[in-house]
Amino acid sequence: MAEILKVSNVSKHFGGLTAVNDVSFSINEGETVGLMGPNGAGKTTLINMICGSYPVDSGKIEFLGKDITKLPPWKRCKLGICRTYQIPRPFPELTTLASVCVSALYGKDRPNRGLEDAMTEATHYLEFVGLFSKRNVLARDLTLFEMRGLELARALATEPKLIFVDEVMAGLNPVEAEKAVRLIEHAKDQFGVTVLWIEHVMAVLMRAAQRVIVLHYGEKIAEGPPQEVANNPMVIESYLGRG
Amino acid sequence: MRAGGQKWEWHIEPRYWRNPLIYVGILVVAPVLIYFIYPPLLPTIIEANLLAAIAIPLALMTISTGRMNFGPQFYIGIGGYTAALLSIHFHLSPGLTMLAAAVGGLVFGFIMSPMAIISGGLYYSLLTLLFPLLFLEATYIFTDLFKGDTGLSGVAPLVSTGYFSLNLLIYAFISLTIMLVYLFAMDKIFRSRYAIQMAAINDDEEVANSIGVNVNKVKILGFTIAATLVAVVGWFYAHYYQAFSGQIFLPLSFMLKIFMVTMLGGRTQIYGCVIGGYFIAFLEMILIRLTGDMSPVLFPIILLILLLVLPEGLFGLYRKRRYREYMPTLRFRR
Repeated sequence: MAEILKVSNVSKHFGGLTAVNDVSFSINEGETVGLMGPNGAGKTTLINMICGSYPVDSGKIEFLGKDITKLPPWKRCKLGICRTYQIPRPFPELTTLASVCVSALYGKDRPNRGLEDAMTEATHYLEFVGLFSKRNVLARDLTLFEMRGLELARALATEPKLIFVDEVMAGLNPVEAEKAVRLIEHAKDQFGVTVLWIEHVMAVLMRAAQRVIVLHYGEKIAEGPPQEVANNPMVIESYLGRG
Repeated sequence: MRAGGQKWEWHIEPRYWRNPLIYVGILVVAPVLIYFIYPPLLPTIIEANLLAAIAIPLALMTISTGRMNFGPQFYIGIGGYTAALLSIHFHLSPGLTMLAAAVGGLVFGFIMSPMAIISGGLYYSLLTLLFPLLFLEATYIFTDLFKGDTGLSGVAPLVSTGYFSLNLLIYAFISLTIMLVYLFAMDKIFRSRYAIQMAAINDDEEVANSIGVNVNKVKILGFTIAATLVAVVGWFYAHYYQAFSGQIFLPLSFMLKIFMVTMLGGRTQIYGCVIGGYFIAFLEMILIRLTGDMSPVLFPIILLILLLVLPEGLFGLYRKRRYREYMPTLRFRR
């Protein structure tokens, strides 16, 4: 499998606080990689740096062999990187169809795509996440689960190669959580995307991820198959503390 | 109803009364009727058209940057002074001064546009509020050039038929043309693919950036185009009054009027701007005639009360019940 993302010695400081310290990892095409760690471990900061929301203090990020460390977020999106948010951030005053339409229009460069074509494309993604019946509902009126579905549709409509899923289970009941996991698995199969999945729920990553990376206080402390990582004493200590 | 053996049914459906040609027709016919019935009302019509013509590009500026600009009169000043100075000192024709005013607006708009990128919220509002006041100060400091105390006079008129009322009628039609051209252009923009990215920026610019929207480009373009269009209104003011004074257009009182047109019309809805423009211009005229010296005090008070009573604006009264019927939803945005 070809390497799709390579993060080398990336660091981020906020004043005196080191949020991410010298983290390196890579993701191969078609993989589902889990990113774990206790609260404040620097998972979302790392994703923000890869997506371009935060500038990198030191280190290098390569996507499909191209250095993207200095690229703005919209250029990274056009290359094929997209994300969902831990706390959903829909466009509150746009309808769900219009929200997905923005991605369909401006995500990947597709010459000669007009508004109507984008609308048609957007309905396809809304259908995929089960929101077709709510296409004319304002995004602010959706439930939390529906908002997460909308975020996934919005991300998929950019036709990404690599998608970051940020704590999709947060705030969902067990039935909704199961649906969300299945949805992401289907998205991976149908659209052929590579997934980097940030999650607290260990059981989900055990099931879905081929490889898990664990962060603690901004540093990578473990990487490997889920079962191996779950039994790693450093990981257990970071979650449960010293016995 | 039966006519010639055929049964006719007359449905008054929304598609009939929502036809914009009806309203354009009313706006075109109104000045002619006023010309024949009561010509002193023509300046109010001109003022209404111009207020709407300022508020419509301001809607573009607000939506494309996701920020409220509190100093659109700065660009009126740029356009007005450019036109007046060139007309007085170089005797350029109004056509050329319009071009120069538009270029002036374009250049200053482009220079100012990074403000929408580097600042946001209250800071952006304060910065935009500050520039017209600085410009006003500059007109006093460089009084040899701008005639800060008295204003520049002797600008060539756009039309001179020899009949005062007829001149006013022609001015009313020119101002209406400017306003309708702006309205038509903005309507086209707000229904296009570019509107949908502006809507996204308006809601959450960080997310819009992360899904491929080049936020900075949209902001700079929207800001610059709007500034250019507002500067052309400044050009019209200079030639219409045959004089231009920063004291009238640059202070906060004029900004308040534009702000009220935008908000009372319906929170940067372009059709609301037209309703707001006519409402404010006529309200001001009625207050001046009824209350005389008290009108500068009463006018803002009445406007503030209306703003509290009608949070969605005048156009919002109609729009808020049926906004979900439309796609894209941007046209009724704040």
